[in-house]
Amino acid sequence: MSRKPFGVLLAWLALVVAGPVAAQDIPETLQNDQCIACHSDVGYLPDGLLLAGPHMRAELSCAGCHGGDNTTDDEEIAHAGTFRGVPDAASIPAFCGRCHSDLGFMRSYSPSASTDQVANYYTSVHGQKLRTGDTHVAQCASCHTAHAVLPASDARSSVHPMNVPALCNGCHGDAETMADYGIRTTQYRDYVGSVHGQALLEREDLGAPACNDCHGNHGAQPPGIESIEHVCGMCHVNNADYFSATGMARAFADEQLHACEECHGIHDVRKTFDAMVSTGDDSVCTTCHEEGDDGYAAADSMYAQLSALVAAQDSALAVTERVREIGMDDIEIGFLLRDAHESTIQARTLVHTFDPSRTAEATTVGLEKANEAIRIGHEEIGDFRFRRFGFGIATLLITILTIALFFKIREVERS
Amino acid sequence: MAEPKRSRRSFLNYVLGGGLLGWIGSVIYPVASYLRPPAEAGGDVASVKWGPEGDFRPGTSAIVKFGRKPVLLVRLEDGEFRALSATCTHLDCTVQFRSDQRDIWCACHNGVYDLRGQNVSGPPPRPLGPYAVNIVDGDVVIARLEA
Repeated sequence: MSRKPFGVLLAWLALVVAGPVAAQDIPETLQNDQCIACHSDVGYLPDGLLLAGPHMRAELSCAGCHGGDNTTDDEEIAHAGTFRGVPDAASIPAFCGRCHSDLGFMRSYSPSASTDQVANYYTSVHGQKLRTGDTHVAQCASCHTAHAVLPASDARSSVHPMNVPALCNGCHGDAETMADYGIRTTQYRDYVGSVHGQALLEREDLGAPACNDCHGNHGAQPPGIESIEHVCGMCHVNNADYFSATGMARAFADEQLHACEECHGIHDVRKTFDAMVSTGDDSVCTTCHEEGDDGYAAADSMYAQLSALVAAQDSALAVTERVREIGMDDIEIGFLLRDAHESTIQARTLVHTFDPSRTAEATTVGLEKANEAIRIGHEEIGDFRFRRFGFGIATLLITILTIALFFKIREVERS
Repeated sequence: MAEPKRSRRSFLNYVLGGGLLGWIGSVIYPVASYLRPPAEAGGDVASVKWGPEGDFRPGTSAIVKFGRKPVLLVRLEDGEFRALSATCTHLDCTVQFRSDQRDIWCACHNGVYDLRGQNVSGPPPRPLGPYAVNIVDGDVVIARLEA
């Protein structure tokens, strides 16, 4: 067992199940299992053993993985024959793969489960290094644990999306472990503060990517120059499509630059904002473009378009707020604001064409919608004023009528 | 002295008549405004009528204003109606039905949902919420689903 993965494993096991398993906690289906009976008696059940896990629920018991005979209380007979004992780190993929790479066997338990994990693992940097005899790298148990294995969909699982970043950080955040590989250790810190990390870890949005969504699961590899655009493009489809059709994409490839990450970062991808395509201090365009070249002018133009649209939207929102305050109809305005918002989003995506005429297609529509919302908003406010004025006039008329009636009655009484 | 009295009476009659007319107008105007139906349904609605079932061709769709929210009403090729929230669960853009792809698509970030509203690909994190579709006296009526 490798040093760090084993440490992570122990920490995880301690979290999942605290303390040794009491005999009364053993499920009925395992009451006659002699592995558990004997190892419980001698207090030698592994820490963190999850008796309610999928393996135990399928009655595979200890012998399902470790071999031997779980029907006898005779230690010599039990530990003879197929008994495989505790595997070392180098043999764990084969140990797990004995079942998980066997399509026929897996169909008996989980018909939809894939059986290519071990094959994929050996394409990963982890697997390749394990093959060369480096037992410090992650293998199956490093991530899935040895005795508390749960499906990734289970929130208690070590490989549930919410737990993956911290799991990977167990090794990749450790400077001592990573020193041997020359890999930096800031990924987790960067990720936690990123737009992806905040979405997953703070808002619990499982659609947001964890480490494995970009680097792969069992075939974990860092995305290369040729693939990073496609990795980001799995979710950011339009952005990647627009970008890949530009001259900028070809120039990036020629210069060996990493597509998306040159402007957006790697693990510390921040929430984007319009000034990123400006020519101001926050611009990412001015990293390469200087005043006077086409890229600089394009950035200036796209930012001006976006700013004008956002300003119009803000004005429309202010008018809408006033319409709501006075209790007038804001439904149609709400739909127009949705359209303007949609145009803003489309324009921000079209920024990846680096073509101001393309962004203008969206911003022009958005401006029309926002201005229409403002016009209707002012009409509603005008209608409100008319009604208030009318109420004042009506009150005045009623008052005059009452006074006139008073005098008329008095006049009739006198005559 | 008889002339000023007549003049005052005449003035009083004018004021009374004018005031009465104004009062009638101030009563009739809001009543007439109330009776004229508004262009849009109210903000919090339970159901919305689209129109006659026969006017909705199979393989087409419509965005229906359901109170403050847009709803995507789709009629499949076999004639079945489906209604789903038209608000993309990613960044609130309005989704659209693609009859050639037989899916629901968000143009903002290329998010794709199936025809039951399940998010299939792209950035949408959640499915589109469903609405009930009923045919009432030959009209297509979209209704909020009971929780």
